[in-house]
Amino acid sequence: MALELTLHTQPEVPLEAECITPQRVAGLAAPEVERLDAMHGNRRVKLGDFFSAAGKGANDIVLNGDLSLVKLIGAQMAQGSIVIEGAVGMHVGWGMSGGQITVRGDAHDWVGPEMSGGRIVVHGDAGHLVGSAYRGQASGICGGEILVHGSVRNETGGAMRRGLIAVGGDAGDFTGVNMIAGTIVVLGNLGIRSGAGMKRGSIVSMNPAPLLPTYQYACSYRPLFLKLCLQHLRGLGFAVEERHINGRWRRWSGDSLELNKGEILLFQR
Amino acid sequence: MSDKDNMTDNGTNTETSAAAKADAKAAPGAASGAAPGAAPKNGGDHIKIVKNATCTFCGCVCDDMDLTVDLKEKRITKAKNACVLGRAWFAEHTIEDRPAALIDGREASVEEAVEEAARILLEARYPITYGLSDSTCEAQRVAVAISDIVKGSVDTTTSVCHGPSGIAFQGVGETTSTLGEVKNRADLVIYWGGNPAESHPRHFTRYAVTPKGMHIPNGKKDRTVVLVDVRKTPSAPVSDIFIQVKPGRDFELLWTLRALVNGKKITADVEELTGVARETLDDLVARMKSCSYGVLFFGMGLTMTRGRHFNSGAVLALAADLNQYAPFVAKPVRGHGNVTGADNVVSWQTGYPFGVNFNRGFPRFNPGEFTTVDVLARGEADAALVIATDPASNFPKKAIETLRRIPVISLDTKPTETSRLARVAFSVATYGINTGGTVYRMDDVPITLRPAFESPYPGDEEILTAIRDKILALRPPRQDAAADRAAP
Ligand code: SF4
Repeated sequence: MALELTLHTQPEVPLEAECITPQRVAGLAAPEVERLDAMHGNRRVKLGDFFSAAGKGANDIVLNGDLSLVKLIGAQMAQGSIVIEGAVGMHVGWGMSGGQITVRGDAHDWVGPEMSGGRIVVHGDAGHLVGSAYRGQASGICGGEILVHGSVRNETGGAMRRGLIAVGGDAGDFTGVNMIAGTIVVLGNLGIRSGAGMKRGSIVSMNPAPLLPTYQYACSYRPLFLKLCLQHLRGLGFAVEERHINGRWRRWSGDSLELNKGEILLFQR
Repeated sequence: MSDKDNMTDNGTNTETSAAAKADAKAAPGAASGAAPGAAPKNGGDHIKIVKNATCTFCGCVCDDMDLTVDLKEKRITKAKNACVLGRAWFAEHTIEDRPAALIDGREASVEEAVEEAARILLEARYPITYGLSDSTCEAQRVAVAISDIVKGSVDTTTSVCHGPSGIAFQGVGETTSTLGEVKNRADLVIYWGGNPAESHPRHFTRYAVTPKGMHIPNGKKDRTVVLVDVRKTPSAPVSDIFIQVKPGRDFELLWTLRALVNGKKITADVEELTGVARETLDDLVARMKSCSYGVLFFGMGLTMTRGRHFNSGAVLALAADLNQYAPFVAKPVRGHGNVTGADNVVSWQTGYPFGVNFNRGFPRFNPGEFTTVDVLARGEADAALVIATDPASNFPKKAIETLRRIPVISLDTKPTETSRLARVAFSVATYGINTGGTVYRMDDVPITLRPAFESPYPGDEEILTAIRDKILALRPPRQDAAADRAAP
């Protein structure tokens, strides 16, 4: 049985509720869940001040209401599932290493920071810095999957080290900036300056994209890994077409200012 | 926000005529001798000369002003060495009669206002402190302490000017020097995305272009000055080489230069991409590699256009790359008088330069999450302490709506949009003119202020200290702080 949390009072200032994560609620009765601590701005509050709980603490959590001011949901999550029926605030899935978070609405900035495993699915749009490093950090996500069916804004996968980020819509500027490794697939359009400072890794787009002068055209080919990757994404509900799966891709290598071992793959035909 | 806004932010100061004792120490004889013709006709013992005073109008923080002060009229009649902006800054301090404190627009005593301010900040769940760039380091320090005690956010106007550079310093690093070193050594001076002729008039003459230096015996003749901008500004005539880049293509141009400096192949049509011919770039790269000391000054044309911290980061990386060939530094040209001090003070108190949050009792840095304009635009804050800046006139509409909704405490030298909508508004003395203290020049050199005359109003530091002490007196006994801190 799942634990169901419903927002009954909208927080006035951001609510940091890292307690909403399977391993924290596991085995707790509903009233005990409501007694868990959260931070409402600078005040320590009880989760029950904002949420009413039903069912009992389990590996599966369902959240109802507009949670756009609720931060850090699913923090350090290692197993189980969280389904958010609406929008969600910043830092969803912070430090996640396993399990799945599903957001039916939009997600704010910093989806899955410091993630190392598991999966985050956003059915709406996501903000800036999806899977990116925090300021001052050397690397972004180092594993796991972030699947955004809508569009994302700037700096998606900044300095990411491993893992998969897929975007159904468009991406903003600086997608895969300073990327160390990993894969970013954008079904829509890439913004400008994709892959700036990239060391290794792949940025894939179905559409032509403006590239930096430090990217060199390498070849046109049918990479096998991409075929598997796109089939995987199609299985997860992304609108990948047959022609993409079997198509040719133009490979641009860069960033020549770094290792030049990264690639931007643009669909050819 | 442009450099222009920085200026309006500074604006005028107001003074009342209320009794201020004439400074007996001002030696009249020597004074009028030192500044012949400066004294008004009725000259004599109410004229004071302040030697080596400091102008705090812009980030140049020129500390070679000779001010002639009329103590009877309480104004500065002459500012020798000041540029046109500095002269206006010193001259604008006319006498105006305003209450020292207002609560809800009604006159109140300073004590009442301090108590009300302390109460607002203590009650708030997410109080924010903002501004600080036109205030002394001493006052900034107290403001950080207040944010720490009430567990709010502290942010400075850096977040809307060179905040991106702050992010870039952390991500890329900074090759830096003082302006003195630039004056004495630099033979290649590049200005990128700035218009110092209008925003920092003495930057050319005092630090970077015309002054003769130890290794630059002939001043400007020994230097090559390059200006990179999207349009020809009044700074262009000073430059030997003017490079016009397509708007919004600075990053591409910088990236191309980095590639050329590092000997990487460029196949793309650079001219079409950036608007700059390949020969111009090759020439610039040759100059950069062969100079004996180069400096890249960058302004808000880089930091506040598309790409922001990556633009700053690209300049810093280019300067770092060039050190393979010649000493090369990159310096942001800062706007407000003590915005550099704000970065320094907030860094040394919290570990981060701006956009710092104390909600959990320890500092967290996350520009975008904790920077004032974002917090206000999302309507997250529930009280604001605004010091020496006017967000209600230059922030986006949504942020201003939040300011109208929440209790605001403002400290300013003049009535502003922000002080008009504030619950508690203090009139304060002007730093550098009425109050002493320390400010940092744009190259992180601390400079002492020599005030010209007294103001009937208290300074920022005095008010903030009173608020801090009141908060400490009023705040409830400590709760379990460790538990708040527990999680991330
Ligand atoms: S350059 Fe700036 S600091 Fe110097 S006198 Fe002019 S306004 Fe004042």
